[in-house]
Amino acid sequence: MDYFYSYLILAEIYTLLGLSTNLLVGVVGIFSVSQAAVFGVGAYIVGDFLLAGTLSFLPALAVAALACILLNVLISLPSLRVAGDYFVVTSFGIQLLATATFTNWTAGTGGANGMPGVPPPDLLGLPIESTRGILAVTTVATLVACLAFWLILRAPFGRLLKAIREDESAVAAAGKGVLSAKVSAAALAGAFAGVAGGLYATYLSFIDPSSFDLDASILLLTMVVVGGARTLAGSIFGPFLLLALPQVLTFVAIPTTYAATARQLVYGALLIAFALFRPQGLLGERL
Amino acid sequence: MTAYLEVCGVTHNFGGLQALNDCAFAISQGGITCLVGPNGAGKTTIFNVITGFLRPDTGRVGFRGRTLSGLAPQAIVHAGIARSFQNLRLFTDLTACDNVMLALPDRAGETPFGALFRPFATARSDRRRRADALERLDHVGLAARADERVRNLSYGEQKLLTIARLLATGAELLLLDEPASGLAAGALDQVMVLLRRLRGEGKTLLVVEHNTRVVQQIADEVLFLHQGHLLAQGPPARIIADPALAEIYFGGAL
Ligand SMILES: Nc1ncnc2c1ncn2[C@@H]1O[C@H](COP(=O)(O)OP(=O)(O)OP(=O)(O)O)[C@@H](O)[C@H]1O
Ligand SMILES: [Mg+2]
Repeated sequence: MDYFYSYLILAEIYTLLGLSTNLLVGVVGIFSVSQAAVFGVGAYIVGDFLLAGTLSFLPALAVAALACILLNVLISLPSLRVAGDYFVVTSFGIQLLATATFTNWTAGTGGANGMPGVPPPDLLGLPIESTRGILAVTTVATLVACLAFWLILRAPFGRLLKAIREDESAVAAAGKGVLSAKVSAAALAGAFAGVAGGLYATYLSFIDPSSFDLDASILLLTMVVVGGARTLAGSIFGPFLLLALPQVLTFVAIPTTYAATARQLVYGALLIAFALFRPQGLLGERL
Repeated sequence: MTAYLEVCGVTHNFGGLQALNDCAFAISQGGITCLVGPNGAGKTTIFNVITGFLRPDTGRVGFRGRTLSGLAPQAIVHAGIARSFQNLRLFTDLTACDNVMLALPDRAGETPFGALFRPFATARSDRRRRADALERLDHVGLAARADERVRNLSYGEQKLLTIARLLATGAELLLLDEPASGLAAGALDQVMVLLRRLRGEGKTLLVVEHNTRVVQQIADEVLFLHQGHLLAQGPPARIIADPALAEIYFGGAL
């Protein structure tokens, strides 16, 4: 049972990340390949505060969310100047920079050895040690984020964001501001990723740079592509499906040494297959 | 008559290419002014300058006695000038109605704050907005297609939709870049009727148009642009009858 709960917790955390990535990449069209970097910053901030004992879980999560809002706005700013495809290049650079920082800034992140012993989340001073307790916390966070995503998509704000993805000049010609809408969307996406990071660090209690590298960012994009862009259902389905795959792979007799490679192969194949044959994903629209 | 829209000495270069060369004209309020000239004359470029999409190298644009130079496109829409695009630039993944709703000046629920923390008020104001948008769609005869995605509309319907979207901005001066080009006879007549009706409703229209028959039928005044410079301005009959202008227009280079 715990095994299943653990899958649910991770799938929910990745749903938060899927929502973040879908909002930024799917809805507004800011093609970020560095969402895992923001995720990582959230995770390390919560880990640092809880290890030092300076803040309890919720305040630490709030600080992480705030930091990730600022960070995501900052790294999305080039998208206001650099058009479409070139932003991918800047974003790629940001991801490399983040990985280098996570790996080498030993004082803040534990470096390549990782950060062990992050305490479990706590509410009102009571630590939540049980898997079911943590599942309850991630479920609440995911439901709130899903509600927010749904409200945004159906509001005029969502319509504005979708229009921006299609044609910024036409949006300006309609008398609407592009900049503030993009910044708002980046802020929201940052908050989702920051909260996901905090939950991830406290649930696993050990984090290292491999969870926040380029592969992780591409996994997030794959989730959006497979689930489908611009829909709530797609943002949930993508993570739940892709995280189930490694579990399925463990039933196939693959030596554990090849497991990671096998997973990457499957993800890569999926990405290509969907781009070619089902660009709208399973439950959404074309990226 | 006092100038309503005033373009003074506007010059704009793209690298070595002079797209606008000391371009100057003024139009008065009310009526339809057609902007004509051969391909590459700078018609779209002057639209881009007036609406803030391009900063001219020199010169200024005035509207109702106010200088527009330096304003961002959306500020110019708020000042009362809106434009359509030669290549339509509709939001093709959205519905016809969404395209129009987006351009309405109402801004309720356009920030995450409104969307997240005032969901009911946002939904209510969006219903009002939808009713407004349906009215504009009805205006151009597209009400029945409101919930169709734009990419499923015919080219003629898409052209009409650009006019509905333009109307939604509430602007009083409308710049239309070739609203009638590429249309079959029926749709063409529909657009001409629509433009005349807008004039009747008090809008001022500046329309880029290649078809001399259309110009003759809708224009109160014609501006003739050539190599980025205003060559002539006058009533359509006189401009069209001018053999020198006809030579430029039909005979290629001067
Ligand atoms: N963004 C740009 N970069 C470089 N050159 C441009 C650009 N936009 C327009 N031009 C050039 O400026 C000149 C004027 O172009 P413009 O689009 O204003 O012409 P037009 O009168 O609208 O022509 P058409 O009737 O073909 O629409 C043309 O020679 C065109 O090639
Ligand atoms: Mg043109």
